[in-house]
Amino acid sequence: MFFSSLQKELRKTMAFAYKNIIMTRRNFFTVFETLFWPLISLFSVGLMGTYLEIGENKLAFIMIGAISLSVIQLAQLDVTYVLLFDVWSKSLKYTFASPSSFINMLMGSWVVGIIRGFVAFLILSAFSIYVFNLNMLSIPAGALALFLIGLFVTALLIGMSACILMLIFGRRAEIAAWTLTAIIMLVCGIYYPVSVLPFEFRLVALAIPVTHFLEYFRAFYGFSPTTSQPLAAGFGLSLMYLAIFLILSEWSLKRARKNGMIIKLSE
Amino acid sequence: MSYKTLFGERKVALRDVSLEIEEGEIFGILGPNAAGKTTLISILSTLLIPDSGSVSIFGMDAFKETKKIRERINMSSGLNLPWSLSVYECLKFFGMAYGVKDNRIEELIESFELSEFRDVEFEELSTGNKQKLSLAKAFVNDPELVFLDEPTTGLDPDVARKVRKKILKIHEEEGITIVLTTHYMAEAELLCDRITFLNHGRIIAEGTQDDLKKIIGAKDRVIVELSYIDTISFDKLPPEGIYSVEFRDEKLIFFVDSGEKRIKEIVKLIEPYWNNVKGITVEEANLEDVFLELAKRA
Repeated sequence: MFFSSLQKELRKTMAFAYKNIIMTRRNFFTVFETLFWPLISLFSVGLMGTYLEIGENKLAFIMIGAISLSVIQLAQLDVTYVLLFDVWSKSLKYTFASPSSFINMLMGSWVVGIIRGFVAFLILSAFSIYVFNLNMLSIPAGALALFLIGLFVTALLIGMSACILMLIFGRRAEIAAWTLTAIIMLVCGIYYPVSVLPFEFRLVALAIPVTHFLEYFRAFYGFSPTTSQPLAAGFGLSLMYLAIFLILSEWSLKRARKNGMIIKLSE
Repeated sequence: MSYKTLFGERKVALRDVSLEIEEGEIFGILGPNAAGKTTLISILSTLLIPDSGSVSIFGMDAFKETKKIRERINMSSGLNLPWSLSVYECLKFFGMAYGVKDNRIEELIESFELSEFRDVEFEELSTGNKQKLSLAKAFVNDPELVFLDEPTTGLDPDVARKVRKKILKIHEEEGITIVLTTHYMAEAELLCDRITFLNHGRIIAEGTQDDLKKIIGAKDRVIVELSYIDTISFDKLPPEGIYSVEFRDEKLIFFVDSGEKRIKEIVKLIEPYWNNVKGITVEEANLEDVFLELAKRA
């Protein structure tokens, strides 16, 4: 009984991975999302660093930021696509009329986000080794894995918040899929240490999990983290936000069923 | 049943709607545009929560035990499915989303005559095939209860006929309870065991086709086709057995207890207009007559 219901839940979750894979494969912009923009970003940041002669460590600092930004943006887009594809196809009501839960949807699409994000990470890492002599893969495998997990969890959180915003504000919130990452990245010190931020912004930065994941990883390049346990801070905050967003997603879904948002997004 | 819109405005879509649907029947929800049919079906299919009222499906509270209910129901409403998925992929996706294995997909593709379009993406399909796919999707989880929202709207008459036949066939073979909305009276007459008429969010009549026809009190209608005439009036009152007379589209329609019995009296009545008469036919009163009568009363 338990295994059959587990199998059923897995099938439901994989339904959304299946849909995202097909729709992503047929989306002309996938290549641009996965390769073009991340490579352009990495290349320009790397060249700027070289031109400014900032030194090997600082170059690593900003390139880790550029790669992380691309990985998070890609993975979170996949999570957001679970709603966006349906909104664009006006088929959202069919998805929500099925017995799949919001968690099934998010998890299924997150799996695709992780795969796409990981592929992008490998390509960007190879590119940075080849062009800028920065080898992120030389960091201990366990640490690299924890850093990547942190990035993917962040992507899930951003994707969830974009989905929640869409259920609350409708199509007007679609833009959140592309802007949330940029806003968060501005504060979390993607190209600079959070210590350069004004005090109030620094407090905000410390409340964002990815700030700590970046600091954890950059510590391997000689940069001291703000907190003594950046990984614990990052995952602790992530768990807290995950719990909050799960409650918010249930609430927003119920609200969308009450005010007709699901029907409206299907018209 | 009313609900709050995004801006907090209270929208009253349905008022005092109360109905009971029997297991295994085809139940029709009829009404003009904006009558509240789609809102009602959205509530019944658990997509919309009204701010008052209750819905019980299979003895469960539709707003509390939603997941359990959704596993046993399905719906088809409109022609929108994920646009990049092919026929097969679409059914596979929904099969998985309902947690079922995909062994029914090929059967559904064949049964809804979609084999030729198996690998065609949804957005490339014709309207008829999109509708067929939407219907096939509604049966992907082997449901006990299916909601079909205007299943033949926008289809060619030939495709619409095939779709109606398919719905009847599935209902006969699998005994599924079907709730459908339509504004085609002939469709409701062909498919539905029981019907409810909605207008302005209210149920204005409910029952079997015979029950509903009793509302207008007539069994038959005698149609007198006229030409070159704008208005018509009679010197004397119609005799007993002729319940009402209507003049629409150059046709004079007499609602009578029996066409055979009343035809002579009708001929006498229209004698002054005899030169304008193109033909006389006797038909059974239909749901359209009921609906028009009810709309008049409302």
